[in-house]
Amino acid sequence: MEGSVAAGAAEEWAELTLSPRQYRQRARRYRARTSRRAIGFLAPYTAIWAVFLAFPVGWGVWLSFNTGGILGTRQFVGFENWTRAWGDTEIRTAVRNTAVYMVIAIAVVFGLAIFLASLLNKHRRGSNFFKLALYFPLLAPPILGAMMWFFMVHFDFGVLNLILRQFGGAGINYLGENPNALLTIVAVEVWRGLGFWVLFYLAGIQAVPEELLAAGRIDGAKAWRRFARITVPTLRPLLLFALVVAIIFNAQLFDSVQVLTEGGPALGTATVVWFIFKRMFAFQDTGLAFATSVGLLLVILAATLLSFWALAKRQAREA
Amino acid sequence: MAEVILRQLTKRFGATTAVDDVSLRIPDGELLVLLGPSGCGKSTILRLISGLEDATSGEIAIDGELVNFKDPTERNVAMVFQNYALYPHMSVSKNIAFPLETARMPKPKVRDAVARAAEMLEIGDLLGRLPEQLSGGQRQRVALARAIVRQPLVFLMDEPLSNLDAQLRVQTRLELTALHERLGITTVYVTHDQVEAMTMGRRIAVMQSGRLQQVGAPVDVYRTPATTFVATFMGAPPMNLIDGELRADDGRWQFVREGYSLDVDPAVMGIEPAALQQSAGPVRLGVRPEHLTLAEPAAAGIPGIVQFLEPVGSDLFVSVGVGEHRVQVRMPPDAKAEREDAVRVSFDPARSHIFGSDDRNLRAGLAR
Amino acid sequence: MTAGSAAPERDLTTDGAATERDMTASDDGQADSFELDRAAFEAAGRRRRTSDRVRRIGAYATLSLFVVISVGPALYLISPAFRDSVSLFAYPPEWIPRRPTLENYRFLFRNTEYIRWGVNTAVYATGVTLVSLVTNSLAAYAFARLRFPGRKVLFFLILSTLMIPVAAVLAPTYLTVRTIGGWPLIGDWIDLDTYGGLILPSAVSPLGVFMMKQFIETLPGGLYEAAKLDGASEWRIFRKIVLPLLKPALVVLGIFVFMITWASYLWPLVAATGDDYRVLTVGIQSLNGQFVTNWGVMGAAALLTIVPVTIVFLFFQKWFVQASMAGALKQ
Repeated sequence: MEGSVAAGAAEEWAELTLSPRQYRQRARRYRARTSRRAIGFLAPYTAIWAVFLAFPVGWGVWLSFNTGGILGTRQFVGFENWTRAWGDTEIRTAVRNTAVYMVIAIAVVFGLAIFLASLLNKHRRGSNFFKLALYFPLLAPPILGAMMWFFMVHFDFGVLNLILRQFGGAGINYLGENPNALLTIVAVEVWRGLGFWVLFYLAGIQAVPEELLAAGRIDGAKAWRRFARITVPTLRPLLLFALVVAIIFNAQLFDSVQVLTEGGPALGTATVVWFIFKRMFAFQDTGLAFATSVGLLLVILAATLLSFWALAKRQAREA
Repeated sequence: MAEVILRQLTKRFGATTAVDDVSLRIPDGELLVLLGPSGCGKSTILRLISGLEDATSGEIAIDGELVNFKDPTERNVAMVFQNYALYPHMSVSKNIAFPLETARMPKPKVRDAVARAAEMLEIGDLLGRLPEQLSGGQRQRVALARAIVRQPLVFLMDEPLSNLDAQLRVQTRLELTALHERLGITTVYVTHDQVEAMTMGRRIAVMQSGRLQQVGAPVDVYRTPATTFVATFMGAPPMNLIDGELRADDGRWQFVREGYSLDVDPAVMGIEPAALQQSAGPVRLGVRPEHLTLAEPAAAGIPGIVQFLEPVGSDLFVSVGVGEHRVQVRMPPDAKAEREDAVRVSFDPARSHIFGSDDRNLRAGLAR
Repeated sequence: MTAGSAAPERDLTTDGAATERDMTASDDGQADSFELDRAAFEAAGRRRRTSDRVRRIGAYATLSLFVVISVGPALYLISPAFRDSVSLFAYPPEWIPRRPTLENYRFLFRNTEYIRWGVNTAVYATGVTLVSLVTNSLAAYAFARLRFPGRKVLFFLILSTLMIPVAAVLAPTYLTVRTIGGWPLIGDWIDLDTYGGLILPSAVSPLGVFMMKQFIETLPGGLYEAAKLDGASEWRIFRKIVLPLLKPALVVLGIFVFMITWASYLWPLVAATGDDYRVLTVGIQSLNGQFVTNWGVMGAAALLTIVPVTIVFLFFQKWFVQASMAGALKQ
């Protein structure tokens, strides 16, 4: 009857027309047909990615177990490259330099950036101008940025020494002595990255809910306590993310070394990437270059995991 | 224009079953309202018909043709979304023309069709605007125009009125009904609003937890709810349900609860004797508020105490405490009642229902 | 811009805090000590305003110092770029060119391939940007909207290469390009010393795929579904609905990719060995230490390269900043 038909009523029109097998078959064909549409969208990127990123990563790992230069015949040698790399004093120096550089550079640039960001947050008049000016060094390619610094730190005609000498000083050898050279590189990299991190932290600080800060003010919290107790904790997730990004970026230090010191003096500014580059393209010692490349990959991966783990632990403790 | 048939349709998302073995036939040109609380699976049915989701099992046929394995683009159904889904970067006329241009209709014909649809929905003066420059009601009309412009086989409407304010909703409801009558396109209309369902649908299908509870003309569903869910979901305030027991005493069936018993005459209440036999034991008695009256404590009826009075102008709703239940009684606005009065709640057995322990109405003629 | 509104706001809250303290003070003491409290309150306000002023001056002095450090090296370039190299070594120093010369520029254009490098840089950066925008948005659409087997696995695989630095795969990528270069036909297009070999390996970063996917997912899902029911094919939905709405994100991604690419050094250094495909960064650095370094020419080259970017930057500063923030993931 027209009146009320409840679920699953055994009416003739409600009989299935396909057997379960037919149904499955046609469903499969239908899904295959719709899936095929993705191919055209995926193919261009996936092809480039597979050939020029995924494959090289895999090949690099494989080649780290082989000898033979760029042109020579390759031969599987097991862990020979790895043991060689482990004992290589040059690599050890490069790793140490890179580590020292990273610790100092990240500490300095983060400290300065958070400080300047909080200044900009409090004193908003003209903050647009300051932001732009601080951001400026990022515009120049690292190579050119480092070149500008040549004119600042060159022993003979660098602006810094010219000023020193005008006040009767002797002039400092910024690039030709250790550890000056590495510290100069740190300064140049801090100079370049500062604007980015200022903007980054400024955005973070300004994302702190205004009511929280206002509540702090009414409670009579001093500005510094307010910063330490309210602003910094809310920045924490940002801080970790920033740290990971900074580690990954800074572990690749190469451009300014190539321009300013070429790894010298006496390997005082030799970095991991600089070492890879030299071994690969100057000495054609590909085995060592590949082993070091894979090592760098692993270290970056480990750094990322480690800092995420640290955050999770700290959050668990606070909860 | 086409008939839509759902055959034993089931859709599972992981462990949850959104649509559970639903069979439903919507004749050509009908406006069927799918009614139910949110999450009952009614929107999923729309998405299954349109092809935006694939059924786990069961079949969907439109115009006699199985469409389970047809792409949404090929099913020729149009949908009006709750949030209208107008293309924000296109003008109103571009929005309406989009399905036609997609079908590569020649430009002059597109212009004519857009103009006709715009005229039908009285949005001719808005054609040059962007969606963000329109009010909610205007957006609604544009969405409708975009849906009707290509004359689809089936219209699917997913709570199209829920984003409008109350006044506009009433007006648009009437217009939608008129539009449907004029176009005669088979329409499936999803809503959680029972007033919309009652006023718009030629038939309504009530759903709960993915299952179809009852399908029928609005008045039938209201008068004779097939399950306790339908009884309480339809109607405001809902149907009163009172716990009791169905017992046979000397071949006479009775609904019994503490201090009260009611003779159940199968002929009067429209129940097959066999059904009574089956449901002996705990049952619920259901009566709508408007079918209850208050009587003197000495009269026949369920004994209770008046707890609250809610005058709403046209009526007076009286809440009567009956044991653990609170029963709502609709009285004329000038009825006399006081809080704490001891009363009897009486009713006409012919307008009452008995629901078995499986929550189904025992009344004959309802599929079980 | 916000200075006008921020200052009074701060004053208000300062006052509020002081009043608060005032009120608790008068609660402790006598009710008629109100006048006294008021005087104390004004004195505190004065002290506070003075220390505020000192603090403000200190803040702006600090900020200005850092501005000088940031912009100074680039501004100073103007001086050596218009002097001959010998005068660089003059003592006392010659801060402002006494006899400005264009000799450095003449040398740059006559004796080096500066223009060629500039063209190469433009082709390289534009190429990488276009390839990235097209391939990334296509792939992102598939990941965001289409259903196909292995979708999650493939996306995870691609995403897991997000953090891989250029340097770590420099050597194997170099060998890969060289190997492809040895193959017939395709080797004419992708090889060391070709634009293809220069551009494609620089367009591998999944950052754009990730960004665009996020963005597409924020578009109301109903749009995609409405278009589907309107009969539009995936390609038509992508072109007519998604792409137009993606425009702001594409601009940000485009600027970011362009900035990164034109500034990059390592890959172009190994991928292009001769002047034909050498880019500016590599070219200018090659002036450094080739025979005797001509410092004036280097200064001139650096200045000439930075000026156009600076101008573009000043015009589109808002986009640039946004782009670098969006790219925070990669940089």
